[in-house]
Formats: sequence, C-alpha cells, structure tokens
Amino acid sequence: MPSFTAFIKSLIIASLIGVLGSGVFIYSGLYPIGADVPHNQLSYWLLETLREQSIARAASDIRIPENLNTSDRLLAGGADYNDMCAGCHLKPGKIESDFTLGLYPAPPNLTLMSDGHGHEHLGKTDDESLKRQFWIIKHGIKASGMPAWAPRHDDERIWDMVAFLQRLPKLTAEQYQILTARGDSSMQHQH
Amino acid sequence: MKQKLIFPTLFLAVLGVAFTAQAHDPKEHMKGAESPNCAGMKDMDHSKMDMNDPVMQAMMKQCMKDMDHGDDMQDKRHNKAQDSEGHSMNAPEHPH
Repeated sequence: MPSFTAFIKSLIIASLIGVLGSGVFIYSGLYPIGADVPHNQLSYWLLETLREQSIARAASDIRIPENLNTSDRLLAGGADYNDMCAGCHLKPGKIESDFTLGLYPAPPNLTLMSDGHGHEHLGKTDDESLKRQFWIIKHGIKASGMPAWAPRHDDERIWDMVAFLQRLPKLTAEQYQILTARGDSSMQHQH
Repeated sequence: MKQKLIFPTLFLAVLGVAFTAQAHDPKEHMKGAESPNCAGMKDMDHSKMDMNDPVMQAMMKQCMKDMDHGDDMQDKRHNKAQDSEGHSMNAPEHPH
C-alpha cells in the first residue's frame, strides 16, 4: 500500500505536469481565439459559470429603487437604450444586426422575454434579475463587447434603462418608436 | 508639508470637476434625433387604453404636443372653412 508521502508526491508531480501542459498550450497559440469560432463546451461552461457567479455575488447588495415602473423612467431609459444598446440588443421588428451576427458571445436579444435570451439566468427571481441587469449595464463584462456605462452615467440613469428593459419585450415597433424618440413631436409638422 | 499637499489636492479637485463636466449628456444625441411618430396614437381607441399603464402614460407625454398641434391644425382648417362660407363672425369658439 503506497504511503501518504508517496501520494502527496504523485499529486504534486501531476499538478506540475498540469500547470506545465497548460503553459505550453497557452504559449503554443493553438487555441482558436477568433470570434467566428465558438468556444468548446468546457471553455464555454467555465466562462459562463465564472461570469454568472461573479455577477451574482457582486450584485447581491444592490438596492432596487421603489419607483422603477414610471413613465418618466421609461422615456429616459428608452431614449438611452435606443442610442446606446439597440445596435447590439435589437429593437422590436429587428431580428439581427452586424453586431449580433459578428460578436461572440452573441449579445442577447432583449426584445425577447428572458427565456428567449439563451443565457443562464432563468432560475433568478425578479429582484435578482433587476440587480443583474443594473450591474451588467454599470460595470460591463470583460471580453464580451459589453462596455461599462458607469464612467459617464450615474446610477439613476442606469436604473432608467433597467426600467425600460422590463417593458421592452412587450412593446410593438410603433410603441418603441414613440417611447425612444428624443426629438420634439411637433417638429414633424414644421416643413 | 501642508503646502506640498495643496497643489496635488487642488489638481485632483480641478480634474474631478473637468470629468464631471464631460458626463454623457443626452443633449449629445439631440442632433438629428428622431421625432416620435404620433400619427398612430390619434387612431387608437382611447376607451380601450389603460391610462394607468406607464407605457401608455409615456406615449401620451411624448405625443401631447403633437396631439395639441393636431387639434390646432384641425381648428385652423375648421375656421378657414367657416371663413370661406362667410360664417366666421357667428361661429362659436371651438370647445376643448
């Protein structure tokens, strides 16, 4: 029967081989890093799990404003969504853009209900989902194409966008156009 | 020692103000901004609208000017028609 010391030695050697092998693989440049080649299942699971666990932990202490469902928030958040988010996350009546086709991971289509996103946040409560969206907009996600909007947008403005996202999946294209237009409606009649 | 700290503190304060002033202003998006297309709102059956729904309230806010403007235009057309028929002097004020 092998001794405990021999077991530890084997473990250390195996770990060293693992670290060395990983280093050789990383420096070999063999991993396909192009956005047009999907991750293998192991890499995808690792990155997805890392992302979701990190966001869940970081967002747990966020306090949700009580007045999230107001027309003023919808108007402010809608206009910002249209200017800053719709290119990647789409708008009613649009099913793809250059960004949705070219980015990897593909940005979720936020005009769909959460079960249509294809992302792993289905088990979350409504509050957890709101906190998650706020955190992602504010801080962004590394190496995903999602920028952090915090540097030039305060929390209230980010909550406005979160408020708009709650109603977005049920908006028609006409409703979306009216809610997100920044221009003055009376301008249309000035010829 | 205190004097040495004054300049870096002052510099950071000025830098802070400068960055705050650069905060992303919605007015940056106003150039060429789309106007709300409120034509569809006028054709909607208002009795079926839920006025407590924030989406509907927001749409009403967006189209308020347009709808007022539409009423004004209707008034003008109405008055013009009356003028041409020679009834303008006797025409009652259009109720709002």
